[in-house]
Amino acid sequence: MTDTPTAPGAPTPGGGTVTAEEPTDSTPVAGPAGAARRRAVWTRVGITLGIVVLALAVAYWRTGNGVVVTQAVLTGLMIGGVYGLVAMGLTLIFGVLDIVNFAHGAFLAVALYITVVMVERLGVHPYLALLVAVPLMFLLGAAVQRGILAGAIGKPLENQLLITLGIALLIDNGLLLFFGPNPRSVQLPGDRGVEILGAVVTLSRLLAFGVSLVLAALLYLLLQRTRLGTAIRAVAANDSGAQMVGIDTRRIYMVTFAIGTACAGAAGVLVAPLVTIEPTTGELFNIIAFVVVVLGGMGNVVGAVVGGLIIGLTEQLGALYLPGQSPLLSVFIVFVLVLFLRPQGLFGRKA
Amino acid sequence: MRKPWITAMAVALPLALAACGGSAPPGTEGSDSGGGGGSGETITIGSLHPLSGSAAADGQQMDNGAKLAIDAINEAGGIESLDGAQLELASADTQGAPEVGQSEAQRLIEDGAVALVGTYQSAVSQNVAAVAERNQVPFVIDVSSADAILQQGYKFTFRLQPSAQVLAERGAEYLADVSENAGAATKKVAILHEQGPFGTAIKDTFSAKAEELGMEIGPVISYDPARVSDFTTQITTVRESGADVLMVAGYYRDGVLVANAVNTVQPGLDAVWGVANGAFDTPQFPGEVGEAGEGFFDANYRLDMTNPDTQELADKYKQEFGDDIRTAAVLSYDAVRVIAAALEKAGDASPQAVRDAIAETELDSLIAQDGPIAFDEAGENENAAPILMQVLDGVVTQVFPEDYAEAEPVYPATSGQ
Repeated sequence: MTDTPTAPGAPTPGGGTVTAEEPTDSTPVAGPAGAARRRAVWTRVGITLGIVVLALAVAYWRTGNGVVVTQAVLTGLMIGGVYGLVAMGLTLIFGVLDIVNFAHGAFLAVALYITVVMVERLGVHPYLALLVAVPLMFLLGAAVQRGILAGAIGKPLENQLLITLGIALLIDNGLLLFFGPNPRSVQLPGDRGVEILGAVVTLSRLLAFGVSLVLAALLYLLLQRTRLGTAIRAVAANDSGAQMVGIDTRRIYMVTFAIGTACAGAAGVLVAPLVTIEPTTGELFNIIAFVVVVLGGMGNVVGAVVGGLIIGLTEQLGALYLPGQSPLLSVFIVFVLVLFLRPQGLFGRKA
Repeated sequence: MRKPWITAMAVALPLALAACGGSAPPGTEGSDSGGGGGSGETITIGSLHPLSGSAAADGQQMDNGAKLAIDAINEAGGIESLDGAQLELASADTQGAPEVGQSEAQRLIEDGAVALVGTYQSAVSQNVAAVAERNQVPFVIDVSSADAILQQGYKFTFRLQPSAQVLAERGAEYLADVSENAGAATKKVAILHEQGPFGTAIKDTFSAKAEELGMEIGPVISYDPARVSDFTTQITTVRESGADVLMVAGYYRDGVLVANAVNTVQPGLDAVWGVANGAFDTPQFPGEVGEAGEGFFDANYRLDMTNPDTQELADKYKQEFGDDIRTAAVLSYDAVRVIAAALEKAGDASPQAVRDAIAETELDSLIAQDGPIAFDEAGENENAAPILMQVLDGVVTQVFPEDYAEAEPVYPATSGQ
């Protein structure tokens, strides 16, 4: 039930999954099985690197300009980091509660407006809003799960799905009512361009990227190294089994949804300086976040981060290959390919 | 065990939602708008705008503009030729969705509206125009640029704003004039346009006109305005191409991203040149992007701030709604005035009579244009034209042509670029 049953000393990328192996699998599997798995991982890394090199070569051939390609890669990674951050909370909720949470983007929008209010009213640094937005969104998530969604547990999945959709509409239009339709913005003090290998990126994007990686690491540690994380993974793997060994699954559901919502809160604060803030801004991230979640493997935090980076790169390089097409075209080409080859997602386990 | 359909739903449902934009019946005012049309009573005018959704900011402004026009006309004694009949506005929310606009238009007509104004999105206007034609009720378009709307031979649809063709041709001419006057004639123009019908139409006409005027076009980059989140790669491509000017045709959110990317990449352009851009000439734009937007141009239809009546309207709007009025709202204001003037002239509140009177309109506009509002055979406002604006010291300023100029254009506009 802990992280030990996988290859010791060499945590595989799959080790981050919330849908940890069934307890029955976790009997001695070191030795040959571990080595085989390690080899499989290296094969995967090799294939991935090969694809990346090929993608860059094609991009260079299409544009004939190294700076443009560097810029596309850098921008893609930065955007991808944000996508990963948004998708992390979603994948957690997906993995544990089996809820397709359409309100995730709306929760993110709430955090955007918390940031706006704090910056406009109190004049604080936008990142300080993390201290308010994360706990507030945690509580909001807990309240929504306990108050609204808990009643739908055990009912058909469409029920929960439609409830979250309703919450999203409620939040969107509530924000429209309270804050009006005019776009808002948040400036990061001292924001400027930073040059990396001839390409440029703004400091705010670089920080958002860095902090999202840190948050991903924290979430990973929470899931892997704490009692709570172990319980969450146990519920994800088998909720009736978890209940039998004395885990309060109702509480775990609530806490997981709250953590997922808090992730949306953190993402909202970090992207606030990067976007035009309108009541509908959260919707921008919804489709991409779902793609990232499925691509990375449902319920897999590391998968969400890697999936986010892949999608970010795909969008930017795709725009170079197929100028004039929606970035979603190249994203869905990659998405369909990945699902064709690995229906369980990049880091997902076969059910 | 996870069911595979969850995956399918997760991807399909948001797409479906994005495509259809929801279909809940919106709450609207004017439920008491019975018959209408009799003299000495109240006459209902329908207002169709996106009051919710991503264009809600403009939509609400436009609805407010129409309301102010109704109030002004009623305060001045209503329609005199109809015994001082009062006007009433029935507002409906199109949500920016063509099918919602269509059903709401039908509803307003059935509730007795003698004329419609709207709608902002070209796709919505196209559907509403069809409904208006079928029901023989006049429809005055305040904002919607697609040329196709008035190419169907409709008799009941009229448009106040300049068509995409006029906007783009004038945009190219102004660029040639302003850059030549400044002694830095533009040689190569890069184009960044949103990929929908609006951006593509502007791009096509602008390119043709600019080439005719001796400019080279390239690279031409399009993007999806609903999804784009960063332009640094595109602006880097522009920098590497050695273009002097970047023409941008798009909406508000993407315009802000362009300004930020230009500020980051420093592409060394003479000018960033908006044509009918939804961001560069809005009062909110300089506030949101700060220094990054300084010197940006936009050739677009524009409320005429050199006209005292427009200034008065702007003050009144600010007082009533606590916000700076946008050009779109002034167009809605004018659209209601056109209908009121037609009612006055016809002395008859039947839709057919109003339509015939609108066709013969000659009315001074609060918008900067070549002359009074007058409609040609197709229903286009013959004198509609864009003017050139530039962000100077954080304020959107009218700079060209000279008749409407509040200040001289600054060209090349290198600050922040």
